[in-house]
Amino acid sequence: MFEAPIQRLIDELSRLPGIGQKSAQRLAFHLLTVEEVDARRLAEAIVAMREQVRLCQRCFNVTDSAECSICRDLRRDSSLVCVVERAQDIVVVEKTGEFRGRYHVLGGAISPIEGIGPEQLRMRELVARTAAEGVKEVIVATNPTVEGDTTALYIARILKPLGVRVSRLASGLPVGGDLDYADEITLGRALSGRRDL
Amino acid sequence: MAPVPWHIVALRNDQGIVLRGFPFGEADRVVVLLSPNSGKVRAVAKGVRKTKSRFGGRLEPFTHVDLVVYEGRNLGTITQVSVIEAFPAVRADLDRVLAAGTMVEVADAITHEGEPALRAFLLLQRGLKALDAAPRHPDLVAAFLLKAAAVVGVAPAFDHCAGCGRREDLTRFSFAGGGVLCENDRIPGAIVLRPGLTGYLAGIASADLAALPASDPAFSGEAMGVTRRFIEYHLERRLASLTVDG
Repeated sequence: MFEAPIQRLIDELSRLPGIGQKSAQRLAFHLLTVEEVDARRLAEAIVAMREQVRLCQRCFNVTDSAECSICRDLRRDSSLVCVVERAQDIVVVEKTGEFRGRYHVLGGAISPIEGIGPEQLRMRELVARTAAEGVKEVIVATNPTVEGDTTALYIARILKPLGVRVSRLASGLPVGGDLDYADEITLGRALSGRRDL
Repeated sequence: MAPVPWHIVALRNDQGIVLRGFPFGEADRVVVLLSPNSGKVRAVAKGVRKTKSRFGGRLEPFTHVDLVVYEGRNLGTITQVSVIEAFPAVRADLDRVLAAGTMVEVADAITHEGEPALRAFLLLQRGLKALDAAPRHPDLVAAFLLKAAAVVGVAPAFDHCAGCGRREDLTRFSFAGGGVLCENDRIPGAIVLRPGLTGYLAGIASADLAALPASDPAFSGEAMGVTRRFIEYHLERRLASLTVDG
């Protein structure tokens, strides 16, 4: 529809998640109006990210060196490992400022319905790490979904016999929420996981 | 966008068991439910992936819910949900959750959108109830698969020849032939089952899911293997959940 170079960019942009043809057109024409140096910087950032970013060989976080900054940080407690589904989840846990251990990215969660089993995830690497690095506790921070809970149960089954403490992030009421709106499943978990004051 | 004509906009009450869901957009999820009246139902739960979602955990797989769906032009939108039964013990045990995964996968495979599915719904409900009530019986999944085969009209014959109906000389079992066969009716591909296994399978197939006969370790594994091959043959697909080993 448009001249070939513009249409090519529109086609590429519209393949991105959440971007339809209309948004892709808007972005493409916006890039035509900005300074050439700005457009070039965007293109270079995309290329550089793809060329430089790889997976940390220890925890499978995204990094630009052999090991990520968290694994390289000697001040962090290597006996404590937080297991997450995706690398993006590390940032969320880090923002709390409450965790000083290391991480392990599984690359997904066990989903019996979709046929995703432990062998499709970085489960073997987790077991090898706990033995090699003297891990004492594994905190499972997978999503509180059926898939995330199943993954947590599996990790507990394989690591507990090795003498590793396996814990799970608590489920309960969101801070600032209203009790009226809590569903019975979440409220039930909040009750069973209540704390003494 | 043109306004939706008033006559195709409707709020509909329904109930169903959540089979699965997949992420949709930023924070929504498309939920697939099995309703006794409407068969498989797909609807969008808006914002369900946010921690402050008003739906919370109500739309997780295996939950039996009552819901109100706003019917749009394409996918409906879930506006209210209340839990009828959550089967909490199923989610808390790895063996049970894997069995429940197979149950919902089979229920998903044998039902269609817009076609009432009362028998498949009741079967799934009974299966989840049995799993929730007690630790997983070693033959529960096999029994569920045999009953699912009956729901779709391919219940295997165990006490008479699937070809001629005679009750003696039943030496073979055929996946394509629909169960046990006599020597006269044997067809290529029919296998020989170990003595006693046919009776064991017949016992599982006829028992209530909540009151299965005591399991025999000598037969249990083989019974599951035969049942799995049988249902996979008739559904013309592999059951992905059975490849997941806990």
